[in-house]
Amino acid sequence: MDRIFPTGFPLPTAFYLTVYMITLVIHVLFMNYVLAGSAFVAVSSLFRPKAIGPQLPGTINGVLRDWLPFALGMTITAGVAPLLFVQILYKKSYYTANLLLFHRWMSILPVLILGFYLLYLIKRIRFNQWSLGRRRLVVIGAFLCFGFTAYSWTENHLLSLESTTTWTDLYAREQMHYFHPVLIPRLLLWALGSVPTMLLGVAWQLWFYQRRIGPIQVRPLQISWLALVGIILSLICGGIYYGLVDDATRQQFTQPLTSTYLLLALVGLGLQFGGWALQAASTKLQQRWLILASIGLLITLLCMTVVRESARLVRIDITSLYEQHAQLYKTGGFFLFLAFFLLMVLVVAWIIFLIRRNLRVLAHHQP
Amino acid sequence: MELPYYPINDFGPVMKGLVIGGLGIFHVFLAQFAIGGGMLMCYFQWLAAERRHALARQFVSSYFQYLVLFSFVLGALTGVAMWFTTIQLSPRTIGLMVDQFHWIWATEWTFFVVEVVSGYAFYRYSAQLDDRSRMRLLQFYTVAAWGSLFWINGILSWQLTPGTWSIEQPQLWGGFFNASFWPSLLFRTVSSMATAALVACVVINTMPNASRDQRKELINKTANFMIPMVLMPLLGAWYLAVFPDDSRSWVLGGSPAMSLFMGITIGASLLIGCYALIGLFFQKLYINGATATLLCALAFGATAGAEFVREGVRKPYTIRNTLLSNSITPQEVAHLRQIGSVTNDPYPLRGAEQLPTEQLRLGARVYRFQCSICHTPSGVNGLTHLTGSWNGEQKRLMIAQLQMTKPFMPPFAGNAEELEALVQYLEWLSADRPPQWPTRHDPQILQQINEWLIEAGTATAVDKAAGRGPAE
Repeated sequence: MDRIFPTGFPLPTAFYLTVYMITLVIHVLFMNYVLAGSAFVAVSSLFRPKAIGPQLPGTINGVLRDWLPFALGMTITAGVAPLLFVQILYKKSYYTANLLLFHRWMSILPVLILGFYLLYLIKRIRFNQWSLGRRRLVVIGAFLCFGFTAYSWTENHLLSLESTTTWTDLYAREQMHYFHPVLIPRLLLWALGSVPTMLLGVAWQLWFYQRRIGPIQVRPLQISWLALVGIILSLICGGIYYGLVDDATRQQFTQPLTSTYLLLALVGLGLQFGGWALQAASTKLQQRWLILASIGLLITLLCMTVVRESARLVRIDITSLYEQHAQLYKTGGFFLFLAFFLLMVLVVAWIIFLIRRNLRVLAHHQP
Repeated sequence: MELPYYPINDFGPVMKGLVIGGLGIFHVFLAQFAIGGGMLMCYFQWLAAERRHALARQFVSSYFQYLVLFSFVLGALTGVAMWFTTIQLSPRTIGLMVDQFHWIWATEWTFFVVEVVSGYAFYRYSAQLDDRSRMRLLQFYTVAAWGSLFWINGILSWQLTPGTWSIEQPQLWGGFFNASFWPSLLFRTVSSMATAALVACVVINTMPNASRDQRKELINKTANFMIPMVLMPLLGAWYLAVFPDDSRSWVLGGSPAMSLFMGITIGASLLIGCYALIGLFFQKLYINGATATLLCALAFGATAGAEFVREGVRKPYTIRNTLLSNSITPQEVAHLRQIGSVTNDPYPLRGAEQLPTEQLRLGARVYRFQCSICHTPSGVNGLTHLTGSWNGEQKRLMIAQLQMTKPFMPPFAGNAEELEALVQYLEWLSADRPPQWPTRHDPQILQQINEWLIEAGTATAVDKAAGRGPAE
């Protein structure tokens, strides 16, 4: 592909690809929060048992334990939209990968239900009265549930890129799992990349806490360092992943379709890096540095989603799907969706406004 | 004509329909609880705001805990599970549904978002909100929950009654607002209200700090949500009236299983209705936790029966007039009769070495492609049970003219060699899978099968009865 995305595609395909990627980024934002957040609580429980003791407001663990169930609910809900558009775009390969992994793939559902309930357990006040071993088991269990789901998605995605020969071979062997050398580096790239996203979300929550309630119980330097380490480690994994992908994919990364976005993603990473580095020098969470890191994060996520998609396009002949996309493009209902999407944004904004107004009034009346 | 082949999984002795059916019933029940629950909480919030009941506010908080724990978690994930399971069973069906209604589904997604955000906002902040704000959040939640039913109902009812939609002229709104859209929507709304009221009776019995009299008062208030149940017979009759003729005839005695499940739905609903009438309206009985749980189980039974009927009456189609229950289109049947249904299937047969001949292997592949969606070899709805008493000739005739043997079966979509291979495979299974088995290639038999296939044609019995003739 020698033209920059989305200009190299016919309008219907470009349109569905764009909608897919935008909705995927929304999903990824919440997903990163859950994956990295549950990992953070699990790791904290091993080194700092206090982290899973009584919930302390104004701490990273306190915020995460409080908000992870909601974030998971949003992850699942937000995940419905890209799941819908991936079926429009790559029906056969997506369905085939699902079918080949069969029970192994379907097992993510009970695992997610288990993870969901474990997060609710962590949130309960009575959780603090449990023995340390039991509490550790719960938080580590929750993380393992989400880690398993992330692994399964990566596995499913990589399998969907394979040829019919690989599919039939896998089917004949009744093998309900699939391993590819890039699976682990790819998974790590996304998993480590989720750390800065989660920390930025938590930092914003703590910033609101700092502004409305009082000083936070964690040093901004600590959050910044963690985010910077996450960025560096994900870059290293990105390098390893780049080294392991096949030549065609590597070549794709140098094509205009991808290279521009890869470059922009690096610019986004630079902005994140700068935002966190400047934040590290401050004793309080600073709105301007968080905004800078947020802009960087958004650019990185959007651009990396394009890069991710371009790697898929090396393996799937999307030109054979153009006609199908064009046919579906004629299906009505888009403007209905658009109208309700805007309405949804308004309603969500109104709900936030409603809550904030009530809390403000409450704070005003409290001594 | 290129037919997409997918890898087909074996569910063992479990019929695939049972898996999606079981999951679907569970999901529908949870969804109804969420939808009716929203309405019920709006009502109780109103009671609380108007100071009409001292415990109304406490009830809303207790009920919402259950709603979040069950509906938000299990409801949301079983919804995704429905999607994944449908892919496992029939990727072509879900593919076609997504193709036609992706923007409707995307619109439904915006309602999910509002449902989750307003629900969590209430769950988290309701104790700190004034009555007006609480009511606003509950209203948003309720509209979003019911709205998601509105959108999905159009897609599901389209599968049975596609309205003016057809694959050649895919009119979105003509398909969405189809004949069964309104009766189905209203029926489900009333069911949701009844389900929510029954769950409320359980919740009320678990409320601490409430005396028996206070609980009784609360239970009596929830009874108001059972009043719309009086409309159920009317709505049910309307729903039944808009069914296609053949589907209706199966429910009304044509298919014993379908009639039985319909009976379960009516019976269970009637029992709930009677209990509500005597216990709640005449206030002769107190509904304790155990009774309330039992009534919920009955409601679950009613939902299960209704969902089974809804799924079953679509046969021989999964999308009426467009896609047969084995994921082959009516147009493809004639083509596959020419070239063979598994000739181009790239997926090899698992455990092929256990089958002694090539003919049996072909038969097993035909079974996998055409039959395994609804049947198992010897488990639930097993072919050896269904055809075990037929001799070879009967099997050939019955399968060749399958749509005439049973009108809810699709026509056989393969050539004579494939049909004979399938017959041999069934006989081999019935004979307990012996290590040796003769190969049958009798030209006379194949000729006879061909004649029977031609005689039966490629149209379904439903199409024939409607005078649509063979699909081309």
